[in-house]
Amino acid sequence: MWTGDIMFANTYELIVYILNYIGIYNSINDLFKMLGIEYVLRIIIVLVEIGVLFVFILLTVMFLTWMERKVVAMVQARYGPMVTGPRGLLQPVMDGVKLIGKEDLIPAKADRWVFTLAPFLIFIPALLVFIPLPFGESLIISDLKVGLLYIIAISAISPIAILMAGWASNNKYSLMGAIRAVAQDISYTIPLALSAIAVVLFTGSLSTVDIVTAQSGTWFGFIPKWFIFLQPLGFILFLIASIAEMGRIPFDFQESESELVAGFFTEYSGMKFAMFFLAEYAHLFSVSAIVVTLFLGGWSVPFLNFIPAALVPLISLGVFLVKTYAIIFFAMWLRDTVPRMRIDQLLNLGWKIMIPLALINLLVTAFLLTAGVF
Amino acid sequence: MAWISKNWTMSGIIKGLIVTLKHVLRIGDRPTVTVQYPYEKMKLQPRFRGLHAVDENACIGCGICEVNCPNGTIQIVKHNTKWYPQVNIGMCLFCGICVDVCPMNAMKMTGNYELADYSRESLIYGPDRLLFNKEVKQ
Repeated sequence: MWTGDIMFANTYELIVYILNYIGIYNSINDLFKMLGIEYVLRIIIVLVEIGVLFVFILLTVMFLTWMERKVVAMVQARYGPMVTGPRGLLQPVMDGVKLIGKEDLIPAKADRWVFTLAPFLIFIPALLVFIPLPFGESLIISDLKVGLLYIIAISAISPIAILMAGWASNNKYSLMGAIRAVAQDISYTIPLALSAIAVVLFTGSLSTVDIVTAQSGTWFGFIPKWFIFLQPLGFILFLIASIAEMGRIPFDFQESESELVAGFFTEYSGMKFAMFFLAEYAHLFSVSAIVVTLFLGGWSVPFLNFIPAALVPLISLGVFLVKTYAIIFFAMWLRDTVPRMRIDQLLNLGWKIMIPLALINLLVTAFLLTAGVF
Repeated sequence: MAWISKNWTMSGIIKGLIVTLKHVLRIGDRPTVTVQYPYEKMKLQPRFRGLHAVDENACIGCGICEVNCPNGTIQIVKHNTKWYPQVNIGMCLFCGICVDVCPMNAMKMTGNYELADYSRESLIYGPDRLLFNKEVKQ
């Protein structure tokens, strides 16, 4: 099971298998067949999957906001949130209640429609990215054949939403932040995609499940077959580019509190602000999950061939979350350590260093693969 | 060739990352320095200057503290047939000159610093709230 043969293609089949195992699938299926609406059962199962995913993402995002504050606090020799719940664990709930209770302001001269639409347009792609991500063996909503392309394409929607938010606010800080964010997003998507393509050269498939299964097993019995060892430069480039694309602190030009009040969401309040906030942390989680899937072997882990097959989805989910949280911790750790760059340094790094390095990485990988070294 | 002299190993960032990681993992002498204030209070120094207190038996009501107070905070008022200082905490800057100039060492400062109140009138601490009786305490 850890060596490449996957039991179920996606979670739908897993749920059908579990229902069959309990022994109720056939009776439910017969009931729907009798009514002539078999497709309704399929829709219900898919909706349950999506509901579970949605709740999982929202809980993860709430946990991440707490974790970010705690990590910053530990670095700065503070306690962080401590009062609400054990160790302040219910602080995100209180923040949510506070944000819902706030007045939903729209500036008088704002473009009302675009202003209202922008938070949704940034929030929905942040969730859609999770559809082709394997959270564990057979824990994937849909194993798209173009999974990686889908992920990159969906994340490319967010600059449009940022520009909409910045423009519609009718505020110079918002517009400035939006322009910076879009410039940054576009210049860092290129090295991101180029270093992802270098991985795809090894697998010959854009499907995320194929990428994960290609990384199971070991070399010489002790080095895990993860792409980080084949693509160290690609990994570093992908990590830096994804942190820059997220707009986290060494590259947080879209917000830069000391220059532009809060960047493109200066004018937002209440629930709309909460949606930007949720999208930011959902993006952090999804980007870390993509880094894990591409370079750190996803849910696969070597040396654990003895696990019974029934436990594999659960344990692989745990392994995936541990790896993802390690990457998230790295992003938070970096955020607490380094100061913000200058805007010219950012674009210099993006265009003069990262893109040439990504191209060289791709060229060398292609050359070595064609020469048959790997 | 300016690029050659740059630090391409990024050792500065890595050093910083190691320092912050030591803080996260509490390696070495890196304790949490903040205090959970309402639940836990910091240990005060013995010379901390908080709310005043006046020794009922030592004070002679001479008014030297009133004269020396830079903000005009202290006023001598009558209390139970004797004269005692009355301190307006709203104007006091907690300089401690009144303690230094007192000829009888009757004035001193306690560690009470939670003096916020709802009205300006209640910030005026009369002798009834300032006086303490040294002999009774002993």
